[in-house]
Amino acid sequence: MSPKVRDYGLVLMLIVAGLVPLIVGLNPYLLTVLILMLIFIIYSSAWNFLTYTGQGSLGHAAFFGLGGYGSALIASWLSLPPFAAVFIGAGAAALAGLFIGAICVRLKEWFLAMVTFGFAIIIQTLVVSRQFSGITGGWDGIAAARLMPGGGGTNLLIEYYAILVIGVMVIVIFWLILRSKTGLAFAAIRENELEARAAGINPVKYRLFAFLVSAYFSGVAGALEVHHLGYITPEIFGVDISFWPIIYSISGGLMTLSGPVVGTIAITIVWDGLQTFGLTYGRFIIIGLLLILIIIFLPKGLISLPDRIREYRDKRKK
Amino acid sequence: MTGGLDIVLQVGIWGLYAGCIYILLAIGLNLIFGVMKVVNFAHGEFLMLGAYVTFTFYAISGFNPYVLLVASVPILILIGVTIERLCFRPILGTGKLNEIFISIGLIYLIQNAAAVIWTDEYRIIHSPFESITISVFGVNLPLDYLIIIITTILILIGLYLFLRKTRLGKAMRATSQNRKGAMLMGINVEKMDMISFGIGAGLAGAAGTLWVVSGQVFTPYMGSIPAVKAFAIIIIGGLGSIPGAIVGGIILGLAENFAIFTIGGAWKDAISFLILIVVLIFKPTGLFGESAE
Repeated sequence: MSPKVRDYGLVLMLIVAGLVPLIVGLNPYLLTVLILMLIFIIYSSAWNFLTYTGQGSLGHAAFFGLGGYGSALIASWLSLPPFAAVFIGAGAAALAGLFIGAICVRLKEWFLAMVTFGFAIIIQTLVVSRQFSGITGGWDGIAAARLMPGGGGTNLLIEYYAILVIGVMVIVIFWLILRSKTGLAFAAIRENELEARAAGINPVKYRLFAFLVSAYFSGVAGALEVHHLGYITPEIFGVDISFWPIIYSISGGLMTLSGPVVGTIAITIVWDGLQTFGLTYGRFIIIGLLLILIIIFLPKGLISLPDRIREYRDKRKK
Repeated sequence: MTGGLDIVLQVGIWGLYAGCIYILLAIGLNLIFGVMKVVNFAHGEFLMLGAYVTFTFYAISGFNPYVLLVASVPILILIGVTIERLCFRPILGTGKLNEIFISIGLIYLIQNAAAVIWTDEYRIIHSPFESITISVFGVNLPLDYLIIIITTILILIGLYLFLRKTRLGKAMRATSQNRKGAMLMGINVEKMDMISFGIGAGLAGAAGTLWVVSGQVFTPYMGSIPAVKAFAIIIIGGLGSIPGAIVGGIILGLAENFAIFTIGGAWKDAISFLILIVVLIFKPTGLFGESAE
């Protein structure tokens, strides 16, 4: 797929996203699925943003959860409307991102994966520890203000469009960063750090920046989810929450803007589709198998599928 | 608390026992890493499968669970070889992140397949020596822990002899030192990959049996945390260093159990990662590691 076609694809998706609720109507179940899907699109895109510098994280739940806690607490302390608290509360995730980024910038691959994974566990331990459970509510968690108090189909519809706007904003921000000089620096660091350094690029600075941005928007996604659900518990730091954006991004296609979007939509459809068949463990088995097959046979993700089919067809013609 | 020393000794033995499980996992990971330069984050699933294989054979045969090492190790070697062949070989050399990602797929696949086969209830086996304790320096130690520590030492000696004295072991070490060089010497490196993965999985299976006989509960989801800790251990000890893995395993086992005793059980998992982060800040190549790539 040429870049232009891909851009049109994104615009097309946006139009569909705008129209979908009209088809779905005011069905609360489907609207909730769509809202969570949008939140996870933001989260996966934020996770994917980190891979542009050649870094990968196994502990993004730390940022997702910290954004959630930060926002829930700020909303209740300052009695701010949740839509404002989301962007301030995510600052907690950004701070943590800066801290963990500073530890990680010189580490690579597995080391980085391990430190980020461990960090999510340390944060969870701190949140439920005796010292902090006065603020965080320990394992019981705390209540968070609803995005749209009252609930019901209409409110969910407003929520959906609001989160859609935020999601589009986030992806546009990523796009602007990536097409700027910073994006070029990311690519240079990813491809060859030594040469990048020789060209006067400071890898530490750019890696930290990528960590900061990725953590902040993961925090935004976490805060949105928490305010959508109306509560937060330490389970938000769980391993599953760290792994979902990875699964989404890989199945869609790493290091592309549309990859996480496509991946989240495709996997959500598979996931919720399987639920209607009543599979509990079977769902996880299928998702695991799907992930392995995609990594081996479609390393560039689902978005490369049209290319692959065309290639295959051309080969057969000859 | 009465008499500080015997408590220290008691906690120390718990730590050593926990360390044994970690060492078996970590050495397997290290072996695989050495030969293939691949990290298998799903290594803990081999531990879990080892536990359930032991459980199943125990339920069928009623043998002394220690004897069931002869079942869990070969079965896990077979599973390990299969997984290497089907999942890791196709992606060898396509980037290090891919290995991590494929492990995540494997984690989901294996855990939930186990949950389908054995259900996700908590399981437990009672060892026949459960109530026997041996008095050492006035401290009563469970016999099981001593047997587990001795079994681990025997396995390690066996592995050492295999790697040092046999032709196959030497070929494996050659592959891990220099893959191209080994290939030029006529060593079938892909066969070495398969064997090292198999041995690694077998060691994890042995760890699973030892986990079960110590009377700890197990579920299909038990594997992830020990695996990640085993990985922390090989980073702390230095990638590819077997003595490092042993020292790292003992450090982590002891630190965890003393942490439970002093600052509370909730810190059991976090403490390992705190140690990891501190080690990486001050010595990014690990305690015994020579140099980063």
